[in-house]
Amino acid sequence: MRKLPRTGVIRDYDMSSRSVRIGYGIIYALCLVMVVFAVFPLIWVVFAGFKDLKEFMSSTSILPRSFDLGPFLKTWSQLGIAKNYLNSLISVTGSVVCALIFNGLLGYGLAILKPKGYGVVKKLVMLSLLVPATISIVPLFMNIQRLKMGNSFLPLWLSYGANAMYVVLFIQFFESLPQSMIEASRIDGCTPLQTFFYIVLPLSKPICAVVAIFAINAAWSDFLLPYLVLRGGPLQTVMVRLFVFSTEQTVNADTMMRSVVFSMIPPIILFALFQKQLTENAVSTGIKG
Amino acid sequence: MKKRSHSLAAGARRSESFKSWLIMLPGLILMTFFVWEPLLESVRMSLYKTENIELVKFIGLKNFISVMGKANFTQALVNTFAYTFWSLLIGFVLPIALAMLIGETVRGKGLFRTAAYLPNMLPGLAVIILWSAFFSGEKSGVLNILLGKLGIPTQTYLTRSNLVIPIIISIATWKGAGATALIYMAAMASVNPELYEAAAIDGASVWQRVIHILLPSIKKLAGTLLILQIISVFQIMYEPMVLTKGGPDNASLSLMQLMWQYAFGGSMDYGKASAVAVIVTVILLGMTAVYSYFNNKESDWD
Amino acid sequence: MKKWSKAMALLLVMCLLIAGCGTEKQAEQPAEPTEAPQLSEELQGELDAFSSEVIDADLTCTITLGNWPPDTAAASELALFEGYKATMAKQYPNVTLVPDYYSYSLSNYVPMAKGGTAPSIFQPPFTDPQLLISQHLVGDVTDALAACGALDKFSPSYVEMLADQNGRIYGLPRDGYVLGMHINIELFREAGLMTEEGLPKYPTTLQELAEYGQIIREKTGKAGLVFPASETYGGWLFTNIAWNFGCVGENALEYQDADGRWVCNFTSPQAIAAMEYIRDLKWKYDILNADATTTDWAGAHSALGTGEAAMNFAADDSVDQPTANKGLPLEDFALIPFPAGPEGRYALAGGTCYMFSPDITPEQATALMAYLKILGKLPFLDEDIIAGMRADYAAKKDRGAPVLPAISAWNDEEYNNTKQAIIQEYCNVDMRLYNDFFDSVSEGTITLKAEEPVFAQQLYRELTAVIQRVITREGADITKAMTQAQESFQEYLDDEINS
Repeated sequence: MRKLPRTGVIRDYDMSSRSVRIGYGIIYALCLVMVVFAVFPLIWVVFAGFKDLKEFMSSTSILPRSFDLGPFLKTWSQLGIAKNYLNSLISVTGSVVCALIFNGLLGYGLAILKPKGYGVVKKLVMLSLLVPATISIVPLFMNIQRLKMGNSFLPLWLSYGANAMYVVLFIQFFESLPQSMIEASRIDGCTPLQTFFYIVLPLSKPICAVVAIFAINAAWSDFLLPYLVLRGGPLQTVMVRLFVFSTEQTVNADTMMRSVVFSMIPPIILFALFQKQLTENAVSTGIKG
Repeated sequence: MKKRSHSLAAGARRSESFKSWLIMLPGLILMTFFVWEPLLESVRMSLYKTENIELVKFIGLKNFISVMGKANFTQALVNTFAYTFWSLLIGFVLPIALAMLIGETVRGKGLFRTAAYLPNMLPGLAVIILWSAFFSGEKSGVLNILLGKLGIPTQTYLTRSNLVIPIIISIATWKGAGATALIYMAAMASVNPELYEAAAIDGASVWQRVIHILLPSIKKLAGTLLILQIISVFQIMYEPMVLTKGGPDNASLSLMQLMWQYAFGGSMDYGKASAVAVIVTVILLGMTAVYSYFNNKESDWD
Repeated sequence: MKKWSKAMALLLVMCLLIAGCGTEKQAEQPAEPTEAPQLSEELQGELDAFSSEVIDADLTCTITLGNWPPDTAAASELALFEGYKATMAKQYPNVTLVPDYYSYSLSNYVPMAKGGTAPSIFQPPFTDPQLLISQHLVGDVTDALAACGALDKFSPSYVEMLADQNGRIYGLPRDGYVLGMHINIELFREAGLMTEEGLPKYPTTLQELAEYGQIIREKTGKAGLVFPASETYGGWLFTNIAWNFGCVGENALEYQDADGRWVCNFTSPQAIAAMEYIRDLKWKYDILNADATTTDWAGAHSALGTGEAAMNFAADDSVDQPTANKGLPLEDFALIPFPAGPEGRYALAGGTCYMFSPDITPEQATALMAYLKILGKLPFLDEDIIAGMRADYAAKKDRGAPVLPAISAWNDEEYNNTKQAIIQEYCNVDMRLYNDFFDSVSEGTITLKAEEPVFAQQLYRELTAVIQRVITREGADITKAMTQAQESFQEYLDDEINS
């Protein structure tokens, strides 16, 4: 077996000391506790999904009486979750596309093109980072209603095209690109848009991936604005459904837990697929932000 | 001749500038529609008497006076600072500790990183609903089941006014701490391990290395994350809304939740709701200003 | 690591696909109205009985119908609404019906009404109409109502509730309810609280409620009473308890003084005594459920329905909650009158109404009245309506909810009598478990009382906060808490209505 390099504070050299060895054991023990802590609630909620209402309300056992998939299938069909999944998929897809295009172009303008007066806009964007998005949800919702965009995905998609954090991520990445290449393309007669698509974009796959993953996760989890816009109609997404359940009290507690399980499956799949990008690239991008 | 080429270049620059603005235009329109205009609108609304969303009459600061004069505002303000306090106590140190622990591991590091990041991927609403079952005060509550195995009698949690805020912060920390830890790990990884090696050979103990090499490496990052954390926890809203509805006896009511109550809780007072929103914004901007003042000062010293 | 994650992802995707495939067909069923899914023959018969004559082919408009049952509703309920829709299409071929799953809440309604996207018809509770009318957020249907001849049958108490100062009508009662108490007989039996006839020996006074609750707690270990003290529910139930402690007339929780100023009074000896009663339920008798402060309406029904609590203050219109929805067998469920207090015997009466979008046209108003007529919500008795009623009760019976006598919101004897007779046919419960409740209402041994007149939700919110303090802190100073709540609510009243 290949020996992995030690990167932490504790060096091989220290391992000769007994107290350090014990400390090292404690570190591992704590890490394992953390794993249990992180994973146990997820396992529990799946177990809870196997219980019916009476068992859920009364049983003092973590394990369900039976592992019959029936309750899950029943909830799936009864609540028509397939349709909510599809709605969420449409909502997420549009949101990601908007997040990449609009924030990317704005970031490109502010980081590379820098036309006269860009500084003001950049400051505004930075300042927007500090302002809670929910604070202006009432006037925003009224705007959407005035434009008769209620009960459609369009405002939700577009709202992801106006995310200050993504713009800042793009700006920081673009600023780190070799300016000489961009300068060269301009001298070659490329228009700014051509430069973006032929030079900048191909170099920007890592940041696009990061923003895309962030946007997928955020769009999937989002429910306040979607709730106001889709308002219990046929387009409602999985999370809107869950929010409606939790506020309008139409669903029993056991069904609620199964809905929670269903709402967690796609993010977990996403995580399993992009786990490496997320725990490595996304993090090192986030560090600059 | 020289002069002419100059003006040509200026013209080209101007047209290029125009094109550049054109490229940014869609993004700017969206930012205006979704972020900037609603923000200004809410400032404006806070100065008006509103009937539904119509601005009926300019009343100056009356909304602010009325909102701030009420007992629930004081309570929400104190609570929001309590959220911030607990979040700093629990949520600030834990990620650093986790990062240090995971950073020391060799085998299984991937597993630890994955486990740490996993809760962050889960939808916040689902997380709150999930944990609500853990803190149920019935015998069937998960925490009661687990503590019961240790012989501890059934407890209630969400009915205790001094416990609700730490509980809500713990749930938020469960979701976010691991992901933050990975950010710290990335910063810590920028320290060349040979530095530790050299210090070790010089006789520095493990603790001395942590204090003199490791912690300084994340100092700047910790400052940034601190202010981001304060901003985010200051807006806490749906967590208490779903878990405790602000109770018991307003013990977990947050400022943003108060805003929601004014707007959607039955009184439809968007003017007062906007006043609360503006107060939150001002507090946040104030704290950010103080932070950046000290931050700049410190970097002057560097 | 990589292998692990790929395998995990694959596993999850497969689970998802299997789950998806296995149920795809079932999922589609409720959305398919033409193929009514396994209805009882009885119910199918009722649906076929709808008349199909054209009434007005010229009426042309589009109406959107809020509160359309979501695809998660019971199949029988969906079929019922599709039946209404079909009848409407036959009677008024040029009226387009657009089903809307909209479910009313004050917070979601107001922006929609302002933005012009409110559904033509929706269903707010009786606490909201006056607020909506005063803000001009609902449509006037007086003329349409007069045109179809229902205006004069309107019960005066509802005119008060659903009209403006000029007597214009903006809403119609959907159904009324009277607050009483739900009982889990299983727990009463276990605690030995049964009469010789095998009926539950239930509390008739609030004092007995506390004592019986204590017996149940001791004998079964379950909560005697589930008290949903979250948000506004606690205050809502508390007003009824306070009335029974004498908070009426000059001691009312809120009233209008001689100058027309709205005043609240939470510090009368009666109100304090009522709050002390709540305190005793927790700290002296210890009969409340553990998490009262986070228990909501649905949670209370779940606790009663699953046998975690023996009693729940709830109304006759939610009897389907603990039974059909939470699984309590019909024979283990009873509905009893609200227990009397030392100073009175009141029961809160309220309900849900139909109201209309502020921008409805006269054509839409006419079409909406026709639709409500088909639903049987207007006081008329033709074949269609009887068919509709039968369909409704058959649907209830179909999903195992108690079919009970309804408390009418119309002043029309013939209509009311015929309705009761039909209900008798579908009755699926032992009426001995309900008689005392309905008799107390019809015989007047209990006094019905509407909710507190102004800003009830805010009043409930303030009182709920006091209740939460009282039941979470053993030594809480009740007078002080009530004084604070009074000051806070008075300030609210002064802001909203007295200025």
